[in-house]
Amino acid sequence: MDTTLFKLSIRNLKTRPIRSWLTIIGVVIGVFLIISLLSLSEGIKTAVLQQLRMMGKDLVMVFPGEISDVMVAMTGDLKLSDEDIEAIKKTKGVENVVPMAWKAEVMGYKGEKKTVLIYGNPWKDALEIYKRDMGWQLFQGRWPVPGKREIIVGDVVPKDVFPGMKINTEATIAGKKFEIVGVLKSLGNKQDDSMIGMDLEVFRQITGERKGAQFVLAKTSSTYAADDVVERIKTELQETRKRRRGEDLPSFTVLSSEKITDIVGNIMGIIQVAIFALASIAIIVGGIGIMNTMYTATHERIKEIGVMKAVGAKNTTITMIFLIESGILGFVGGLGGTVLGIGLAKIMELYFQVHPIFYLKASASPWLILFGLLFSFFIGCISGFLPARSASKLNPVDALRYE
Amino acid sequence: MAMPILQLKNVWKTFSLGKVKLDVLKGVSLDIYSGDFMSIMGPSGSGKSTCMYIIGFLDVPTKGAVFLQQKNVSEFSQDKLAHIRGRKIGFVFQQFNLLPHLTALENVMLPMIFQKVVEKERETRAKQILASLDLDKRAHHKPGELSGGEQQRVAIARSLANDPDIILADEPTGNLDTTTGKAIMHILKQLHQDKKKTIIVVTHDSIIADYSKRIIRIKDGQFI
Ligand SMILES: Nc1ncnc2c1ncn2[C@@H]1O[C@H](COP(=O)(O)OP(=O)(O)OP(=O)(O)O)[C@@H](O)[C@H]1O
Ligand SMILES: [Mg+2]
Repeated sequence: MDTTLFKLSIRNLKTRPIRSWLTIIGVVIGVFLIISLLSLSEGIKTAVLQQLRMMGKDLVMVFPGEISDVMVAMTGDLKLSDEDIEAIKKTKGVENVVPMAWKAEVMGYKGEKKTVLIYGNPWKDALEIYKRDMGWQLFQGRWPVPGKREIIVGDVVPKDVFPGMKINTEATIAGKKFEIVGVLKSLGNKQDDSMIGMDLEVFRQITGERKGAQFVLAKTSSTYAADDVVERIKTELQETRKRRRGEDLPSFTVLSSEKITDIVGNIMGIIQVAIFALASIAIIVGGIGIMNTMYTATHERIKEIGVMKAVGAKNTTITMIFLIESGILGFVGGLGGTVLGIGLAKIMELYFQVHPIFYLKASASPWLILFGLLFSFFIGCISGFLPARSASKLNPVDALRYE
Repeated sequence: MAMPILQLKNVWKTFSLGKVKLDVLKGVSLDIYSGDFMSIMGPSGSGKSTCMYIIGFLDVPTKGAVFLQQKNVSEFSQDKLAHIRGRKIGFVFQQFNLLPHLTALENVMLPMIFQKVVEKERETRAKQILASLDLDKRAHHKPGELSGGEQQRVAIARSLANDPDIILADEPTGNLDTTTGKAIMHILKQLHQDKKKTIIVVTHDSIIADYSKRIIRIKDGQFI
């Protein structure tokens, strides 16, 4: 293709630099939003799903409360009773049950006192599942021995919570002495990495939370489908509750690990669609900016258009000149937005590497970059189309007579 | 006898202003032969410019027909008309109508762009034309940096870009003082004599009209 029209268009844009740049900035903002948000959300999705996928397919999770109450369950107000736990244990197809309880307690170490989240679980049964399905690994030391006042701390604890904490030293929790026997490798998010673990029996003794658990993990036997076991656990729990307390409402949630991965994946997908929709609005606003600029340009250049037609420009040539102009506005805006968007995503990635609330990779795929560039060029052309067409359709004599 | 290169046959041009119809050209006929140097003279509002736009294929008659080398141009597509306009006709306007952001050289190159002349040749040709009009020193100036006479010379250079047969000049001296106007008319006369261009000048000034070989008078949309 002859690049002459392209040069001509650039010349036209350069004659109104401020307006051109402002229009471009309008596009930059939209593309920047879409690219940074998409690459971050894609990164979060990948990170979360990766963690979830580490879990074996034979795990079933039981929470107290409806699924919508998950946040309530996490804060520890709702609990599964010992009877519930027994019922789960009895269910056909359940091989192993690991109740988990947690509570915030004050912990003292070398004269320093801090409130930490401690959890208790039966180490004997728990360890097998944690190691295999949750990727738990020792960083230092050993696992606590059931029945003993020993704790294992998350990766962040010796780094951030009690800097310089060493294994084989003593700490106090709820006024009782404990020996720190091990440090875990990072589990992938800061909250989990800040927790302090001990045997469930010991946990119950020192916290006074004698019964129940906030969360139960059940391992199903390989001869049963996890989804069938989920259904059976539901029935068992319902019957237990009816018998003991006359409750009808199933105020508990039973989910297989696969189901959880699906749900989380779906939620992430919806969030991404929402982000995309919102950021698209920003791009559309940018496109309207281009359209506005181009209409102004055609209006200002009516006489020029008449002159160009008088010296032999075809309608399609006039259309091209204006379309190239709006395309350039869109493309340059897209380029700027993509660079800034990926830049921000990378900065966030670095930030999360230093402050690991969770480990995030900004996922700036070539596909996303290409999308950003083409999409904005496309928006530019679309927005420029109507103004360009109205310019090309001008009657040359009217255009020449226009003052 | 040679055939006319361009003919108007009983051309009417009617503008509708709301309900009112305004007949600006009322059945004008004209034969233009290759090598003509013609003036169309008449008072303001008589339809001179309208007539010139029709001769230059910028506008189409409401009634009647225009023939280019015996072909009725009403059968031509818009694109073909644009092509012919760029190839065969050169326009010179009273207000010069140069593109303000392009240099003199670029303005002269513009009509060649639309004829898809390659860049190298565009530049050589445009420089030659500018030099022939004594404008080589002004090639890289923008219209705003040129005097009226220089601008009109650049406009004449632009009209010559694709070496057209016909040059249409609408009041080419209207915005210039008498001396500069005479210089411009002298250039057109030279183009007629040396380059054998067909030249049509629209004017209301008889001194200007006297440069031409043939004067056609128009009044109220009719030749008299
Ligand atoms: N698009 C249009 N719509 C309505 N009326 C028009 C239009 N174009 C021209 N006219 C009218 O047609 C008449 C002739 O116009 P034209 O420009 O051809 O005159 P002219 O002879 O060139 O005059 P001047 O010497 O002032 O340039 C004028 O009365 C003008 O108002
Ligand atoms: Mg006129």
